[in-house]
This record gives sequence, C-alpha cells and structure tokens, in this order.
Amino acid sequence: MHIKIKQKSLPWFFILPTFFFLGMFTYYPALKSLYLSFNSMNVVNPTPIFTGLDNYISIFKTPLFWQVLKNNLFYAGITMPLTLGLALILALLLNRKIFGDAIYKASVYYPNIIPMAAASMVWLYIFLPGYGILNYLFSKLGIPNIEWVTNHKTAIWALIIVAIWKNAGYYMIIFLSGLQQLPLDVYEAAEIDGASKWKQFWSITWPLLSPTTFFVFIIAVINSFQSIDQIYLMTRGGPSNATNMFVYYIYQVAFRFWDFGKASALTVILLLLLLLFTLFAFTFIERQVFYQVGGGSSKK
Amino acid sequence: MMKNSNWARYILLLVLIMIFLFPLYWMIITALKQPSEVFSIIPKWLPEHWTFQNFKDVFQIVPFGRYYFNTIILVFGLLIVQLVTVTLAAYAFARMDFKFKDILFMILLVQLMIAPQTLVVPNYLTVSSLGLLDTKIAIGLPYVASAIGVFLLRQAFSAIPKELEDAAVIDGCSTMGFLLKIAIPLIKPSYLAFILISMTYHWNEFFWPLIVTDTVRARTLTVGLAMLAESSESSAAWTTLMAATLMVVLPIVIFFMIFQKSFIKSFMTSGLKG
Repeated sequence: MHIKIKQKSLPWFFILPTFFFLGMFTYYPALKSLYLSFNSMNVVNPTPIFTGLDNYISIFKTPLFWQVLKNNLFYAGITMPLTLGLALILALLLNRKIFGDAIYKASVYYPNIIPMAAASMVWLYIFLPGYGILNYLFSKLGIPNIEWVTNHKTAIWALIIVAIWKNAGYYMIIFLSGLQQLPLDVYEAAEIDGASKWKQFWSITWPLLSPTTFFVFIIAVINSFQSIDQIYLMTRGGPSNATNMFVYYIYQVAFRFWDFGKASALTVILLLLLLLFTLFAFTFIERQVFYQVGGGSSKK
Repeated sequence: MMKNSNWARYILLLVLIMIFLFPLYWMIITALKQPSEVFSIIPKWLPEHWTFQNFKDVFQIVPFGRYYFNTIILVFGLLIVQLVTVTLAAYAFARMDFKFKDILFMILLVQLMIAPQTLVVPNYLTVSSLGLLDTKIAIGLPYVASAIGVFLLRQAFSAIPKELEDAAVIDGCSTMGFLLKIAIPLIKPSYLAFILISMTYHWNEFFWPLIVTDTVRARTLTVGLAMLAESSESSAAWTTLMAATLMVVLPIVIFFMIFQKSFIKSFMTSGLKG
C-alpha cells in the first residue's frame, strides 16, 4: 500500500522543481504584469495604486508607442523575407554533395552561435562612418558615406543587416533538413517530363517545403518581436526612436523612467501579441499537418 | 551549359560565404593591429605591425578575468541544476502516467514562446524582492525550468522500449535505478544536445544579466564587453574592443568546431532557445 502511494506521487515529485520555477519566472510574472498594468507604480508611488485602465489609455495616446509598433513591424517585415530568402538560396546551393560543404555550412552558421553582444561590436566597427570598412567598400562603388547607426533613416537597416547575417545560417540548416526529406522520385519524373529547374523549384520544391517555411516563419516573427541585445548595444533605440522596439521600449519605461505600471502594461500588450500570433500559427499548422497526413506524402 | 551553371553556383556560394566570414576575419585582424592603424583612410587588410598588446590592454581596462570567472561559474552551475530538473521532468512526461499530463506539458511548452527579456520587469521585481540583485543566482534562476530541455529529453526517453524497463524491473531495478543506470546512458546524444544549447545560450546572454547586475561581482563577459565599449571614449580603442570581442567569441567558436555536427543537429530542434 505504502509503495503504491509512493509510485503514484512519484511523477509529481519529478515535475515539481520544473513547475515551481516555471510558475515563478514565467506564469507568475505574466500575471503580475497583468495586475501591475492596472496600477500606478512609479518613482512617485512605489507601492501600486489601482488606476484601472489609465496605463493602457496613456500608452495608446502616446505617439511613441505607435512608432515602436511600426518600427517592430517594419523590422520584422523586412528582416524575415530577406533572411528566409537568403537561407533558402544557401540551402539550395548546399543541398548536394560538393567539395567542402561542411566548411561552407559552418561559415554561414557560426554567426548564430556567437553572442549578439559580440556581433554588435564587430558590426558597429564595420558600420563606422569615416573610416569604417563598409563605407570604404561602398565608396569604391561610388556610394557616398553613410552614417549607418546615427542616421534615423539607415539605423534600422543596420540592425536588419546584422539580424540577417546572424540568423540566415540557422534557417538554412532547417531548410536543408526540409529539402533532404523531399521525395526524389518526383524530381526524376519532372526531369523526364522535361520540366526546367526553375519550374521544378516552383511546382515541387516550394510547395513541398511550405511546412518548413511556415515553421521557420513563426520562429522568426516571435524572435524578432523580442529582439533587444543589438538594439541596446548598437543604437539605443535611436536616433530619435527610429529603432526603438518593444522590449527596448519596455526597458526604457521601466528602468529609465521607473514607471513599472506602464512598463507592465506594455509587457501585457507584447504577451498578448505573441499569444495571438501563436494561436493563429497553431491553428494554421494543424491544418498543414492534416494536409500532409491526408496527402500521404513522404514519411517523416 | 550544365558546367557553366555549376560554376555560377560555386561562385555565388563562395561570395556569400566570404560575406558571412568577413566580420570574424575583421574582428581577428583588428584585434592584432596597432591602435593607430585603425585610422588609416584605406583600410589595411592585414596588420602592419602584428601585436598582442590589445589583449593585455583589455585586462587593464576592465576586470576581464573576473568576467570570465563569473561566466564560467554561471554556465556550469546552471547547467548542473538544469540537468537535474530537466531529467526528472522529462522522464516523468515520457514514461510515467499522471493526471493532466498533456495539459501540463502544453503549459510547459508555452515557455518556448516567451523570451525571458519580455518578462524583464516582473522578474526584476521578483529577484529584487528576494534580495538577489547583483548575484549570479539572479542571472540563472529564471532558467532553472527549461522547456526546451524537457522537450528534447522527453523525446529521447520515450524512444526507450518498454521491454527494457520491464526486464530491469524484474531484475529488481527501482525507477530511480532504471533512470540513472539504464535510461540516462542510453540517451547521451540528447544530453549532449541540451548541454550545447544551454551552455551557448548562457555564455551569450546579455540583456537579463545586464539588468540584474550592478558591479563586477556577478557581471558576465557579454555585459563586461558592453562596459568596455562604454568606457572607451576615443575611437582609438577599437583594437582593444575587438580583442575583447574576440576573447568572448573564441571559446564558443572553438566549442562549435569541436561539436559542429551535434551543434547543428541540436540547434535545429531548439528554434526558440532557452
């Protein structure tokens, strides 16, 4: 009897540490943000005072909030297709036995595993106006000096370039594994029918790869809405908020202006955006998976 | 015609790879230059006078040795704790039956979607109220529960055949005995994958350590790098900064070269790190 009870409660002991810390640092903080978002808590009132929707109203009335949202959408909207496109091109180039392919993969992949803090430093140096290497190379092409991170028009592009360089290798690897699962016989049939490589790509590779593309797209969106290191280190959200994005904005409101109520409301808004997007993605994925099983294509 | 397109492929690939490798090359070369060489209008592709002085200078300007120490303690300390929590939870989800198992697993997986920096405000308040600000524990605490770790190991534990467990039980093996002596050794590759993910992530992490640390007591390498960047007022310090950056990057690149295959495999499954 004693042993039976012990056996029954054993799994609960096993998952207890994980769920204790999951609760403490994921779920409790999410609920705490929700609670604080209805309160005023700042330098003037260090203890929370209930203020209803005041924080949200003030946020929606702040033009900066809309600019942050716009910046984030622009950043994600440009970075994603460029990164995924480049990753797919690299995957297609490397999806065959060529001499030294392991070295090529590593060369494209290494930016993904180095710290963003380190990447930001190198790129700041590459982007340097005056004697930076990028401007030197551009001058050879007749392009005038660009003040990459200090010009409000180009700063976000500097961040985009770094993000593409940092992440393309990772997505390339995912695309490669997707490509390697495609059925070869379909290509052979297409070859016999005389379909060009271009046609083969658009009518076989691209549609069959769509679950992979979609998976990668979800990760890319979720990650880009939570970017922070490169923004903090390269532009500090500037110049004049041209690169201010969600997490940096939360940081500013909380740790520069010490307005924890408003920062909590921003956290809730970001969490809701991520949640909505994930729900949307999951329903879509379910359909995708269903389609795949129904179509009875290749086994995993 | 066929030959030509193959050549075009190769050239395109080489150009792209050179672009990808360039920042690493430029980091290394600049770290080995003398500070004045940075100012040259025509950039020097190789140092005129090779020097290791920049690396020594880094240690003069910021307590880089201390940052290394802090980072190594954090990375390994957290890893040991995570290995315990992750193993137990993964084993329970893979091979035990209990109420609400599927729902609890979904609840755990939500963590994959939310990067820790998003919850920086409430977590800062928590850590602060626990009196843990400016400690290595504060940096590691939010990561003790690792959804990605549980996810990876659960997959592997589930793949162990039931017959093996039954046989062990008949031989008088307890659950713990089976877990420690049979199950864990069987899924070593998945452990390696998780170890690589965890170590890289925490070596690289910047924002959360920045927020919860105030002094050299707990600051990690990436935060120290930012401190160095802020302390170098004149741009002459680029060579020092690149030397420091290289010292932050080098261990991870070497680590990567040793475990390249497992790295690529394990990061593929992780997607959203953590």
